[in-house]
Amino acid sequence: MDSSIHESLLEVAMSSRDDAVDLEELFESSDEYDPVPRAERLRRWLDLSVLAPARVAINDWRALIGTIILGCYLVVGTVGVVVVERPYSDVAPRNAPPFQNLEYILGTDTVGQPIGALLVHATPAMLKMIFAGAMVSVGLAALVGLLSGFMRDTLVDTVLMSITDVIITIPGLPLVIVLLAIFEPENPYMVGVLLGLDNWPGLARTVRSQVLSIREEAYVEASKIMGLSTLTILRRDLLGQLMPYITINSALSSRRIIFESVGLYFIGVLPFTTFNWGVMMNMAYQNHALTRPDRLHYLLFPMATIFLMSFGLVLFSQGMDSVFNVRLQARHASTTDGEVTSDE
Amino acid sequence: MNWNYFIKRFGQAVLTLAATITLSFVLYHAMPGSPAESLKNVILSQQAASGSGTVDLERLNRMVSMYTNIQPDEPLHVQYYQYIHQIVIEGSLGTSIYENKPVTELIFERVPWSMFISVYALTIGYSLSILIGSVMAYTEKSRFDSVSSSIIIGLNSVPYYIVGLLLIYVLAIQNEFFPYGGRVGSNVAAGFNVTFMQSIIWHAVLPVVSMSMLGLGGALTMRGNAVRVLGEDYLRVATLRGLRRSRIATQYVGRNAILPMYTQFMIGIAGVFSSAVIVEQIFTYPGVGLLMYNAIQTQDYPLLMGSLIIFTTVTVIGIFIADVTYGFVDPRISAGGSDE
Amino acid sequence: MSDPIFEVRNLDVSFAGSRGTSRVVRDVDLDVYREETLGIVGESGSGKSMLASALLNAVVEPGTTTGSVTYRPPDGPAVSVLELSEQELRRFRWEEIAMVFQGAMSSFNPVMRIRRHFRETLQDHNRNIEAGLERAESLLESVYLDPDRVLDAYPHELSGGMKQRALIALSLLLEPQVIVMDEPTAALDLLMQRSIVSLLEELQATHDLTIVFITHDLPLLTKLADRLTVMYAFQLIETATVDTILYDAAHPYTRALLSATPDLDVAVDEMHAIDGTKPDPVEAIAGCSYHPRCPLADEQCVRTEPPSTNHSEHHTASCFHHERAPAAVPIRGDDLEEADR
Repeated sequence: MDSSIHESLLEVAMSSRDDAVDLEELFESSDEYDPVPRAERLRRWLDLSVLAPARVAINDWRALIGTIILGCYLVVGTVGVVVVERPYSDVAPRNAPPFQNLEYILGTDTVGQPIGALLVHATPAMLKMIFAGAMVSVGLAALVGLLSGFMRDTLVDTVLMSITDVIITIPGLPLVIVLLAIFEPENPYMVGVLLGLDNWPGLARTVRSQVLSIREEAYVEASKIMGLSTLTILRRDLLGQLMPYITINSALSSRRIIFESVGLYFIGVLPFTTFNWGVMMNMAYQNHALTRPDRLHYLLFPMATIFLMSFGLVLFSQGMDSVFNVRLQARHASTTDGEVTSDE
Repeated sequence: MNWNYFIKRFGQAVLTLAATITLSFVLYHAMPGSPAESLKNVILSQQAASGSGTVDLERLNRMVSMYTNIQPDEPLHVQYYQYIHQIVIEGSLGTSIYENKPVTELIFERVPWSMFISVYALTIGYSLSILIGSVMAYTEKSRFDSVSSSIIIGLNSVPYYIVGLLLIYVLAIQNEFFPYGGRVGSNVAAGFNVTFMQSIIWHAVLPVVSMSMLGLGGALTMRGNAVRVLGEDYLRVATLRGLRRSRIATQYVGRNAILPMYTQFMIGIAGVFSSAVIVEQIFTYPGVGLLMYNAIQTQDYPLLMGSLIIFTTVTVIGIFIADVTYGFVDPRISAGGSDE
Repeated sequence: MSDPIFEVRNLDVSFAGSRGTSRVVRDVDLDVYREETLGIVGESGSGKSMLASALLNAVVEPGTTTGSVTYRPPDGPAVSVLELSEQELRRFRWEEIAMVFQGAMSSFNPVMRIRRHFRETLQDHNRNIEAGLERAESLLESVYLDPDRVLDAYPHELSGGMKQRALIALSLLLEPQVIVMDEPTAALDLLMQRSIVSLLEELQATHDLTIVFITHDLPLLTKLADRLTVMYAFQLIETATVDTILYDAAHPYTRALLSATPDLDVAVDEMHAIDGTKPDPVEAIAGCSYHPRCPLADEQCVRTEPPSTNHSEHHTASCFHHERAPAAVPIRGDDLEEADR
């Protein structure tokens, strides 16, 4: 047990004041004849959904470090590719150990390509893959979840949720492997899309339950304050409420896409491409990096690169989790938990 | 037991299987060209290797049908019906092009091995995470809590196959504690004897450890759950009622914190079976995963589809069992259900 | 009426938090008499729940409780509650003093049947289970529940009022001397509140109970309690019999509470009629804690903390200006009398 119990006691003590503020906001910003201009509303929304979390995020070390790490990868993937020369065979001595020469600081591989440059030039494709995969999984999740939530207890809802449950149950990797084996995609975006296909059902369920819980709330509020349509309240709350889940899930599904794609490149299921961390690991492994200590670095550096990137993503998601939780708790103490009690 | 719930879950399981079988049928047709077209080259190359003569279209169609259960010369709905019929009624998943044996035979020979390492990985991974998570919750904000949180976040960032590679490097190559591949020593006679069993367990350790990494993220979930339960009113009342500490720890905190993990555990089943493909390849552990991997290398589509269907079947059965037993541990399940 | 079952002296409860230490109960002295119903009234956040928890030495971690709480059982030596070992404390709770608090809606373990709750309580206190369960059935009947149905039910199958009554039955299972009720009716509708209150009166008579009843609902207390004590800003500011409080309250805050409750049917928290904000538990309060909101406050009130003084045998209040209070803070009744004249 901790001081949070005590803090929550204080919160309870002050809750009446907070409620009052919330109600005022409600009256102000959601009037049918809205006196607040669109720009002002946008500013407020930005403040609530983006700037406020960002401010808290700076104070949360995990979110901060996570963001910095991810930022570094972004820089490497865009600027780094221009700065660092594209590696070719025998531009450097073969099997050079790391930390000996500034030209190829991480050493070289069995055909004399600098490992550092290989890692850098593999980054853009990885970023594209992650981007495509995260977009597909989050996009599908949002679409299915929203549709299903809005059309609760209709045929659409039933069908969508059945599909969701089916996809949750099918083991993801074998499915993706079959898809990859049949379509043999080379384009990193395409690989990302295929990997993202089995990754959305969990988030879709979360989105749906959020929509449902906001609908409940909206109904209650709407009946309290006449003249406010449920839709208005939904629109007002939905984005703010879903932001946390979408942010955190994007990070987590990005991590999963890295894991899966690198793994599949590593074992050679995904078609060989020139620059890829997984392909590097595969080459290293094929060249007995595990048994020959002088080649171990060839395997270790890609591993470290993958680790650091997913570490950044995990830190980011953890940090965001606590950031958003703080904010949500402050707003409505009782609705953060997605569970709906059974006696409804 | 609530029959409604049972039937619903059963329907879900059947639906998932039907969906997977249908998907494999669709995928056969989604291959570039018709299934006959795309398989022709594969079959022809196999035939050429075995030295048979030319193949006419009718014969080719018959062979496609034998290998894949799809009869290319029939209309689509008849093909679909026959495909389902073959799998569900005849229990046939087609024939492996490369091995020229029934797919079911090849797969069932290997299912126990995959099950063996997966089930152990799952059990060990989740037991550990429940244990660590609850200790973390009890010592919330202590040094142990923050150190293990950091370690778990770190481990969460390492793909299980990298863990596997590192394990091979440290425990099998640098120090020869464990074998780095295979499922049993080559010079051990198979049979029901101690050496054989030992060898099996010895070979399974590293794959199991690296797969169990998948469940370890659950420790943070468990910690969160336990912290939440520690703040619940019923826990406070239990303390006020002067109940024994051990009872409160197991019946109140433990039970209520583990319950939500159960669902995660069910989804974890799919995750662990999935990981088998990569893990078995790294450890050359001859389970269904390695079979599937080899099927990709040899473009053995019937075997590939068969593996997918079997992977799904095993997962569906696992989840169904977990689902049905969940009703026994959480009485609320019969009242609520799909709406959370 | 002067035989105390609980003697609380110099009780302090504090929490170390990120903003500094909060003292949520400050230097409280209180006697609870045997077989009386004592009401503790105060705004939410005034520290009354903490005071109640301290009676069972059950302040949640990381709170610390200092001072002394002495429990005098009907027979046997006095018990110093704050010095009990963990084992002794475990036996003391529920056997001598039971507590029903406001979270009663979720007071039962959701995965266990109600019967199991009764059974395990008997088990862990080494009681005869068969006899105990028989008693449980009659207790449930006395709170107007169907024992067979309720005992076999899971918590989620019962309504809020049923759970509340089942918890009251559970609290009486080990025949405690004292039962502390912390806002037991807060989450219930008016009808259910009334029925639980009359139920408590009945139970008190049949079980020789001492009841400590904590609420912000002053009107409810005036109907139920023998004596009242008023808590403001983590301190007790006035204690007296219900009649004395109603007709002769000495503290301006008590009078403000009473006047803010015109027909004695609206709870204190719904009123917001008292000006000013509630005090912050982290701050040290100089002088009288009520001075920022008090119409009578002067230099002395800002500088010095008023001592608790006896006004009559069972009436204490902490105010320098208690003589002027009736005139300065008229209660509705006073107004009417003046208007009549």
